[in-house]
Amino acid sequence: MIVGARQGKLSGLRQLVAKAMARELTGFLVPGLDIAHAQGLDVEAAGVRLVASPRHASVLMVAGDISPALRNAAAIIYAQMARPRALLVLGAGGLSPLPSADVTSELSQPGLIDGIAQLRIAFAEGAFRPEVTDFDAPMLHVRVEYTCPMHPEVVQDEPGSCPKCGMTLEPREASANDVDSHPHETHDHHHESHDHQHEVHNHDHGSHSHHHEAHDHDDHESHSHQHEAEDHQAMDHSGMNHGDMDHGSMDHGDHGDHAFMSMIDVTKDLPRSSDGLPMDWIDVPFGPFFPGLPSGLLLTLTLDGDTVAGSSARTLTENVALPHHSALEPLSFVARLSNMEPLAPLAYRFLANQAMENAAGIEITTVTARGRVGALERERITSHLGWLALFGQQMGFGWLLRRAAALQLKFRHANEQAIMALKPDIESLIKRLRRTPLLKSRNAGIGRLVQDNALRGPVARAVGIDNDARSTDPVYTALGFKAISRDSGDSLARLQVRLDELRQSLALIDAAGTIELFEPANIGLATGAGEAFVETPRGAAHLRLTLEKGLVVTAQLETPSTHHLTLTDSLTKQQSLGDALLAVGSLDLSPWEIRQ
Amino acid sequence: MTTALILLLLAVGAYLVAVIEAWTVSGRWQLAAPITAGIALLGRESIVPRKLDRVFFEVAPVLLLISALLAATVLPLTPGLIITDLATGALFINAALVYVLVALLMAGWGPNGAYAMIGGWRFLGQLIAYAMLIVMPVTAVAMRAESLLTTQIVTSQADLWNILYQPLGFVLFFVAAMALAFLPPFDLTTATSELAGGVEAEYSGVRLAVFRLGRLVLVITLAATTVVFYLGGWQGPWLPPWAWSAIKILAVTALMLLAGRVLPRIREADLLNLCWKLGIPLALLNIFVVGLQVLVWP
Repeated sequence: MIVGARQGKLSGLRQLVAKAMARELTGFLVPGLDIAHAQGLDVEAAGVRLVASPRHASVLMVAGDISPALRNAAAIIYAQMARPRALLVLGAGGLSPLPSADVTSELSQPGLIDGIAQLRIAFAEGAFRPEVTDFDAPMLHVRVEYTCPMHPEVVQDEPGSCPKCGMTLEPREASANDVDSHPHETHDHHHESHDHQHEVHNHDHGSHSHHHEAHDHDDHESHSHQHEAEDHQAMDHSGMNHGDMDHGSMDHGDHGDHAFMSMIDVTKDLPRSSDGLPMDWIDVPFGPFFPGLPSGLLLTLTLDGDTVAGSSARTLTENVALPHHSALEPLSFVARLSNMEPLAPLAYRFLANQAMENAAGIEITTVTARGRVGALERERITSHLGWLALFGQQMGFGWLLRRAAALQLKFRHANEQAIMALKPDIESLIKRLRRTPLLKSRNAGIGRLVQDNALRGPVARAVGIDNDARSTDPVYTALGFKAISRDSGDSLARLQVRLDELRQSLALIDAAGTIELFEPANIGLATGAGEAFVETPRGAAHLRLTLEKGLVVTAQLETPSTHHLTLTDSLTKQQSLGDALLAVGSLDLSPWEIRQ
Repeated sequence: MTTALILLLLAVGAYLVAVIEAWTVSGRWQLAAPITAGIALLGRESIVPRKLDRVFFEVAPVLLLISALLAATVLPLTPGLIITDLATGALFINAALVYVLVALLMAGWGPNGAYAMIGGWRFLGQLIAYAMLIVMPVTAVAMRAESLLTTQIVTSQADLWNILYQPLGFVLFFVAAMALAFLPPFDLTTATSELAGGVEAEYSGVRLAVFRLGRLVLVITLAATTVVFYLGGWQGPWLPPWAWSAIKILAVTALMLLAGRVLPRIREADLLNLCWKLGIPLALLNIFVVGLQVLVWP
């Protein structure tokens, strides 16, 4: 049900406002724009303007099935949205702890358009509905702890008096950092000693590494999360009457426990920046739904001003694609592996096929092999275009976002003729990028990597390592394949490699002359072990599996993004925020294929 | 009367800025969109974050609007259409626009959110970088007009517009004006993909509406300032003065907004480098050259 902003009757003026709200829907997309593009959705064309802050969104759009961790993050987003707000769910999937969907529709562009039409009607009718419901979820709860105003080291869960001085303990909210084991040892102490204002509000974008982890411990169900309280406050519907909640000045005054405010005292426990100045460090979450970053990736940056002092990155997609204990039918094995990675499903399908064919000793014909090359290269083009769109968004380069996304949609299911017809568009895109001012200075020298065995795919080729799985594939060499490489290893080189690969893939599709969606091989009742390498758009993926009487019993998968995820720390450290995000973006991580 | 008319014109101007801005983003002309979007915002809940700095949070959007409006009071649209022709007009514009910084800093600090706060501090970091590039070119403009009266500045350009008389100053002022209005590619303080809206991120409902209106008025005010200082104000052949003012202001607005469509966002370090190491020496050079021109060719 759409939750109304204000109670009251639907007067003429309110009807007008409700109609305006129905026209101007603003959306927050879960899991994100990159996945939506890969699924063939064009949200803006369907009439919803996408926004970056949950505060500005009126519709939370959930596309496809997402993991419980992502759902928790989405629930936090939902709690932050201003009412009236609605939940649009595309495709089937679990929602808890999100409330039930206001509108459900199928996961396709017509489904999206249809869902939005229903939403508009719902908004026009329900924007001022008097029966409001509250949204509550466990991860929004705040744990209150009690501390002595004179002895900040005294902290307990129950009210009482201080064992040192006998003063009555005062309640305060526990910060999320106290709940889970925090990796940044260096500044833990300052969290303890000062009830520092910024720990409590790392809220946006579903943030919640903390939330998720702390969830496992039943005894601390407790997060310093501001929005919960807002929800309740807004319920009394003067909306802004906060009274006793409003202790802003005290918080900003900081360090109120020092009778004499000496700078040395105040800053002695603060972490030191590289320049030796003591500063407040704040942990800011970027992700899992941050615009411009791959969706599903949670990047937590410890910010020292505008500089990144430390970082951690992990995926919240929780993909469990491979059999651990039970044997799988070949077809469902292939389906699992390709469903794992929405950004490059064919590459993984191809990988599973090839490994099984190897294990079963089946030879494939040249025609099939060429058809696969065509399909794989088309997927590389769509994937690279998807990355370009995301990268454009990250650089604040709206034209690139729109142009690359539009081309990506065109390439998705294009046949050979259609692809050749799109060639001039790719050429003009590359030419335009080459001429764009500021693009070079924005990327040159950012996120520089050195040669390293962990690198894969375009990231490796941008530092001059040729570890392209296609170089050793006879089908590719017969088509005249030669790996592309650059040597500067920065974000600019990665951009250039991917642009060159767009051209190269077009040429390969032209040479292969066919695109065939390969059927999974019939392996019969074969028994054996096999492995395969496939050059996915992000680099070589490796699969080793064993078959027993036609069933897949064991499988080990190695994916490029798993390797690349470990690079984020060194790429972001001591960079300014914008450069750090750009460096991570230029890796083209896919959280969906990361195996933790 | 004049005040009411100017306020009305500013409202129309803000509307047109919103239409042009939507066009640069989506490539479509949506004439009703700014109005429906505004009404929709008024109907939405305006969330007050927890542990906020109440005064800063509430004042920031209003201050942004007021500072843009104040600057507009000394801008002549036709020879008579000016709210107050202050003897220190050109300086007053500077003084009024300084509050843009104050407003953004307050909007950054007030809601007690990480993204907003970084956005606010970023803007402070750029303070001298762009503020000097507004003051110094204006100095050269005043030198030529031998007055700080904005009407006098317009009439001093009767023979030759300042954009031709001091092109360097125009370029510097134009870039700095874009940075001041945090228009892309200088939108470091609201950057969607770095700060998820930055100083705007925590505002919603009516407060967001005021914030956005303030920014639209700021853009139109800065465009009008550019026209008064460099494009000869209301002067032009055939058409009446108000038409020339309108055409020029809209053209400058479109130019300001278009840049963001074709450029990626500038790196913060590059912006500071550019302003400090290139912009300020060039602005000094501009003052020197204009000084010579005024002496040699009065």
